[in-house]
Amino acid sequence: MQDFKQHAMLPATTHDEQARQDFVGAFRGHLSGRLMPGTYQVFASRVEPAFKAKHGRAPADQEEVRKVMTQDSFYQFWSAMQRRSQEMLWESVIDPTERQLPELIERARKLSRKNRGTLRLDPELEIPRYHRAADIHLQPGGYHTDFTADDVAAGVVYDKGINLYMGGALGAENDLTGNTLLAYLREKHPDFKPKRILDVGCAIGNSTLVWARAFPKAKVHGIDVGAPVLRYAHARAAALGVDVDFSQQNGEHTDFPDGAFDLVLSHITLHETSRSALPRILGECRRLLRPGGLMLHLEIPRGRTPMEKFMHNWEAYNNNETFARFMTDIDLVAESVKGGFAAADVQIDQFAPKLDVSQMNYTEHFFWKILAGWKR
Amino acid sequence: MAARKGKRSAAKARATPSRSAKARTKKPRASKRAAAPSSAPPVQVARIAKGKKPLYFSDPAIDKLLWMTLTLMEELSVTRDRLDAVERLLDRKRVLRRADVEGYVPDPKAQLERNARRGAYVDRMMRAAQAEIAETTASGNSKVDDEALAAVSS
Repeated sequence: MQDFKQHAMLPATTHDEQARQDFVGAFRGHLSGRLMPGTYQVFASRVEPAFKAKHGRAPADQEEVRKVMTQDSFYQFWSAMQRRSQEMLWESVIDPTERQLPELIERARKLSRKNRGTLRLDPELEIPRYHRAADIHLQPGGYHTDFTADDVAAGVVYDKGINLYMGGALGAENDLTGNTLLAYLREKHPDFKPKRILDVGCAIGNSTLVWARAFPKAKVHGIDVGAPVLRYAHARAAALGVDVDFSQQNGEHTDFPDGAFDLVLSHITLHETSRSALPRILGECRRLLRPGGLMLHLEIPRGRTPMEKFMHNWEAYNNNETFARFMTDIDLVAESVKGGFAAADVQIDQFAPKLDVSQMNYTEHFFWKILAGWKR
Repeated sequence: MAARKGKRSAAKARATPSRSAKARTKKPRASKRAAAPSSAPPVQVARIAKGKKPLYFSDPAIDKLLWMTLTLMEELSVTRDRLDAVERLLDRKRVLRRADVEGYVPDPKAQLERNARRGAYVDRMMRAAQAEIAETTASGNSKVDDEALAAVSS
């Protein structure tokens, strides 16, 4: 595993703050690597047999699995600990962030001036309900809450937090998802050389920078609804020596003109939106593409069997990924058609990452799902 | 929990920049550890996420106990790391060798004191279970408060 890169926007840690983060990392590694596989074992050895004895058949869908698994003592214990580990993860990162917040904000201001890309914030932007109703991933305040003027706390917390979340699997600069989607593009469409690229729901720009580096002559934009993550993204990009434009916009309706981009992307973003927002975002992607332009969305897998589907939805019920509950049954091709794409121009692909079991929270196998659509 | 703000928070916040946000402190290197915190932070960041918290066990008290247990587990890990840091620093500064700690044998007086402290610690920890046994005797907790009620009723 690569060490996490200590760039200028990350807070320093005291001995005990670091030790807490180290504990959270070790604890979550144990939960994923050692305990989580046990949920499949108890399902196979006692939960499913009991269900079969009672009903004369196996559970037909994830809802039937949910009813019986949430009554199983081992599952309850793993699940409660997984939830607490997520809360502890944020606490361990918030402590050093809060302590150094004024100087982090000052550092962000200075670094932002070095980014030749612009930072456009829109205080009038309505934060979508799917952000306001529950804090996604249990990050207190979500992506959008300013705790003070020119706040960057949500970005700082998110950057180190997702490093701990995936046991370092996201890479030295949390760029695994960007690198994965880039690898997909290079493999499937090696001759596609975009000059104008948009990353929708970019948060701290961790995936956005991958594209700016891969296509140094391209103009790269990142948009998100959260102001504190964008301030952080802009400063972080400067700290890492990359120029990117960031603006606070809702991916359902942006202010970019028709056909403004060759490539429109998102990285594990769609499942954090809503039933009505999803086709609107896909429609907006289509509007923003020039004819011949490409849309690529990286999504997380949702499982094959009822038990896998149930486990993949752990976050939907326990980690405030509320919309993810519906994603299992949502047909992304049909949603793209609602957004104006021709069905023949859209496809879903699977792409395998290189992760070890301690980095996979809910299954022992994992395939990214990629939605690709051409504007003809 | 710190106050949550709505969609206009950025505008409001910008109109009234806080003193703390302007305060300048010496910039530490990201790779170096900062000094330990000494006072309350100028800005408070929320610690509790908005949204429904699931119940995992039949009794909500079990959820709370697990929360506390895992937090204790975390702090014990932190304390062991800190003790390790102290031992290694003392070793580096030649105040003691780590082998001295490994090879330490308490003298009889120290051994008695340690035994007493350890025993008291175990007693304190196990009092929750002991209390149930004590219910069977007149001197301990009881399931009913008849005697106490009678004592104050006349």
